[in-house]
Amino acid sequence: MAMTKNQRLVYIALLASQAVIISLIERAIPFPFAIAPGAKLGLANIITCMALYTLSTKDAAKVVAIRIVLSTLLGGTISSFMYSASGAILSFIGMWAVKKLGPNRVSLIGVSTAGAILHNVGQLMIASWIAQTWTVLLYLPVLSFIGILSGIAIGIFANYLLNHVEKLHYYRDLRELKRNI
Amino acid sequence: MNAYFHMIKRWDAIIIIALVLLSFLPLAIFSYQQTKVDQTNANLVAVITVDNEEIERITLTGNTESHTFDITASDGDTNTIEIKNNQIRIKAATCPDQVCVRTGFIAKAGETIVCLPHKLVIEIQTESGETDDIIISS
Repeated sequence: MAMTKNQRLVYIALLASQAVIISLIERAIPFPFAIAPGAKLGLANIITCMALYTLSTKDAAKVVAIRIVLSTLLGGTISSFMYSASGAILSFIGMWAVKKLGPNRVSLIGVSTAGAILHNVGQLMIASWIAQTWTVLLYLPVLSFIGILSGIAIGIFANYLLNHVEKLHYYRDLRELKRNI
Repeated sequence: MNAYFHMIKRWDAIIIIALVLLSFLPLAIFSYQQTKVDQTNANLVAVITVDNEEIERITLTGNTESHTFDITASDGDTNTIEIKNNQIRIKAATCPDQVCVRTGFIAKAGETIVCLPHKLVIEIQTESGETDDIIISS
């Protein structure tokens, strides 16, 4: 039994709203890494991972787009929108490509870490474009290091959710089934 | 815990390592470029730009006295900049995210402080000393 259209719409809306709430909460957490200004935990990446594993690529992209637009409207600025949009687009493409390698080759850890690092790459590219100096990119190794740590943690977390929340589990199996037919 | 280690597959490691190496690429290109500049008599210069227009150019090498000054844009955005012991930092700013203030002091070539909301960038560049002006004619 496939997801009905309404089920799918509600599920997309649910994931998107959860992602918005998570990124709002994350904004309220005082900055955890004093050494690397601008670094973030990227908790909203959990939702992107779950969307990628339970929805079609198109619908997962919708979840990400809704999250970025809504969280900008709820207390962002134009520059923060450009930042998060470029980061999210690049990381979404990267995560999708990594996931394409197949579940036998990569786990959620690889997917979320690639997403975290590429998110930083996208942000710094926008920053260097605005600042008109590519030396901003020299900051990348620091951010990548934190991206790896948080990416691994978020991969484990998302994996736990996918395996233990009954509906997610069910949707993922559904998706695998649909692909195999 | 062991189960999580088993979760990591070979391609995970390959992808992570590749991305980490990739993130060092700009650094590698930059240091390659820097080797061409003669380091021995190079001066470090902090270039302050707002909205891609150069506002100020301060020589950092040998600049041991400390002083602070404000850069205020026409719309009231203010960044307080401090120079001390050949280093430069943004001491205070009226921007919402304060990333520029938390960056702290910078002193090495290629380091930048970016205040994105104010479009203010401080970049440290190397300027080779007086040797630049010598024109050898036969």
